[in-house]
Amino acid sequence: MATRVLIVEDEPEFMRRFSNAVLNDAALSLVAAVSTGQAGLAMLDLQAPDVLLVDLGLPDIAGVQLIEHAARHHPGCDVLVVTMFADDEHVVASIEAGASGYLLKDASAERIAASIHELRAGGAPISPGIARRVLDRFRRIASGAQGPAGAAAAGDASPLTPRETELLRMVAKGFTFDTIGRLLDISPHTVVAHVKKIYRKLAVHSRSEAVFEASQLGLL
Amino acid sequence: MNRRGTAALALWCLLSVLVCALASAAARADVLEFTHMQRLDSDAATPPGSGDWRDAPLPDAQAAGGNPQPAWYRASFDVGDDGTRSTWAVYLPFLYEGAQVWVNGRFAGHVPESTPGVRVRWERPHLIVLPPSLLQAHGNQLALRAAATASGGVRHFPRLAVGPLAELQPRADRRTFWVRTMPQVTVVVCLLVAGFVLFIYWRRRSEELYGLFGLASALWGVRTLTFVIERMPSDSWQLWRITYLAATGGFIVVLALFSLRFAGFHRPVLERMLVAYWLAGPLWLWLAGGKLEVLVNQLWSAGLIPIGLSILGLSFWSLLRQRTVAAAVMPVTLMIAVLAGVHDYLIAWDAGALSRWWPQWAGQRIFLLHYGADLVLLGMGGLLTARFIEALSSLQAANRELADLNETLEQRVAERERHLAANFEAMGALQREHAAEQERQLIMREIHDGLGSRLFTSLLRVERGDMSDTQIADALRDCIADMRLALEVLAPDDDFQAALGNFLFRWQTLMLEARVQPAWAIDVPDSALQLSRQAALQLLRVAQEALTNVLKHARAKNVRIELRQRGPMLELEVADDGVGHARPEQGAGRGIGNMRARARQLGGDLDLRSGAGGTRVLLRLPVPGLAEAAVHPQ
Repeated sequence: MATRVLIVEDEPEFMRRFSNAVLNDAALSLVAAVSTGQAGLAMLDLQAPDVLLVDLGLPDIAGVQLIEHAARHHPGCDVLVVTMFADDEHVVASIEAGASGYLLKDASAERIAASIHELRAGGAPISPGIARRVLDRFRRIASGAQGPAGAAAAGDASPLTPRETELLRMVAKGFTFDTIGRLLDISPHTVVAHVKKIYRKLAVHSRSEAVFEASQLGLL
Repeated sequence: MNRRGTAALALWCLLSVLVCALASAAARADVLEFTHMQRLDSDAATPPGSGDWRDAPLPDAQAAGGNPQPAWYRASFDVGDDGTRSTWAVYLPFLYEGAQVWVNGRFAGHVPESTPGVRVRWERPHLIVLPPSLLQAHGNQLALRAAATASGGVRHFPRLAVGPLAELQPRADRRTFWVRTMPQVTVVVCLLVAGFVLFIYWRRRSEELYGLFGLASALWGVRTLTFVIERMPSDSWQLWRITYLAATGGFIVVLALFSLRFAGFHRPVLERMLVAYWLAGPLWLWLAGGKLEVLVNQLWSAGLIPIGLSILGLSFWSLLRQRTVAAAVMPVTLMIAVLAGVHDYLIAWDAGALSRWWPQWAGQRIFLLHYGADLVLLGMGGLLTARFIEALSSLQAANRELADLNETLEQRVAERERHLAANFEAMGALQREHAAEQERQLIMREIHDGLGSRLFTSLLRVERGDMSDTQIADALRDCIADMRLALEVLAPDDDFQAALGNFLFRWQTLMLEARVQPAWAIDVPDSALQLSRQAALQLLRVAQEALTNVLKHARAKNVRIELRQRGPMLELEVADDGVGHARPEQGAGRGIGNMRARARQLGGDLDLRSGAGGTRVLLRLPVPGLAEAAVHPQ
């Protein structure tokens, strides 16, 4: 069964490019390509796609809202955020909202299709800059979780396993997946699978952190 | 100092008044004072009834000569009718060798005399109570047997008084106080003060004045013992006399040394001579075996008088020079002491002179030197105490000054620190401003020279219809790649290491997609990766340009990218196994020119070799941190 893809992109050229990439791949099927956030939300609930390709800069609502909605109501849906330069802050914010990966706007059609397949196969892309920022976020979560409880060791508080932390560090240093796989004695596929798991943890913890902070502020 | 001086003067005046008060002890009406008695030199055991009794004015001084023997004195007195009812007594102001008192031919009492075993010298007055049974109203016969004096000595017999005990008792008490109690107090005080002051000197040897003062005090304490010790075993007598002489002479000599030092004179020879003179007297007496005591006393003791006068002169000279109250203390006290000394000498050895002018006083035989000496010691002690207090005060003042100075220093340091902090703040702000300015310029140049010029060139060529769609796409891709690189390098939180990581990651993907196998070798210490953004950007641009050329023109299977350290230089090498630049195309040529320009901007150079085996681009940059890293590998 083909992977069902929903595209939310307000620029027609890019929408066409992404659509063509999906349409030209036999293993993918395009359920819809819409240009506004509201339409995206509607299609998301209506079609429940396997993959959501979403641009962050939408005309009506923020792309992040769409990602959060997908993560909350359609946990089976993999979200790929579309970014112009993979500028890390935006990508990490998207991952925290629930995105599993990112796609460069100027990526070739093959690259686009390959990214979707990799995502469905359980992997996720990561650049050294993103790895650094993800590490930073987890460090902050760890120290934040310590907060009122006090003296719990930072190591225990970190939601990452030592292996995951090690992997992120290596990515941040610029090691290729092949090299990391060789050093950690795992396959490159497993490396990207780890990355996806890490992203999920980041999303879950950033949400619980938000809930924690909200309850601290008396909002919940 | 002034107040202390005045107080001391007041004290001396008081003492003088007290001493003078003794002289004016008024004779009471019913007290009979004998100015004349009859004397008979005889060693008879009972009052001899007949013999060569001669009139003797009192006080009597009788040289013993070569044949000392006792002498009898007699006189008659009436007590009146009521005298038999009250208790009468004989008052002897002094009687150094002891005596027996007889009334009406009966033994009435005695003052113990020297025995072969014990030598006596009574300083105290004596009051012999007469048994009422022996007295009759009129014509009582009083007889005294004065003990023999030592060979060569002079026996002094006082002007004695007979009267009711109640009348005489206060007189005796008063004299006892001055000739006995005072010396006792003086001995104790002198020895205590000496101990205290000598302790100071022992701990602080540089304080020689304290040492001299302590010595003087000790000597005076010993000398004053002569008024305290009235009984002495005969065999110790000689030693005691020598000690007494040594203490007396020593006191004056030490006083002289003190005055010299105090006035600021250091005459070692003179000082030694003084000490020698001091030792000469006691030594002489010791060698002579006591035979020449009178002679030694008259000659050697007289020699101390000019020394005392010299001290006086010296202190007056010092007073004239300094004209302070402190400088007056020594001359005044010394003056009194010297006068007292002269007075005592006259009383002891030439009673005639004094008794001619002032018989009443001379008859009392009150020695004043030790009161004068007490004053001198008091004065010396006062001066040293003043010095001590002055030293303490100046020390305190110095401490206060030091504390003030410290405080001032602390304030100045704090002020300087604040100033420095402000300076640092300003410098930091300037630096930040400068850095921001630099980065702005960097970004502007980046847009202007890189992206801008590429876009302009492309625009012109597109308008001319000179570019195919593929070429336009390529040009735009180059622009995007440029911009991506700039964004990575200029990202606020990231350094060269992060930018390099992103660069490798991005090109890894691009290479693999173009079927070129990349091999990365990054072999540099972290310190080499602390490049400025400017240098980082240029270095990555060169790498990007080289890799772009590989992808566009080389048709290579493999490419090796190496970053390494060679001494103070950072080397970037990009080598492929492609076809080389046998005939470089326009784009590639311009790319190479750009690379060289960038290398020059960074103060480095670019080496490009192209041949059948492929192309090798070698960029060499000097990196400041590397030189040290090369010398100290850690």
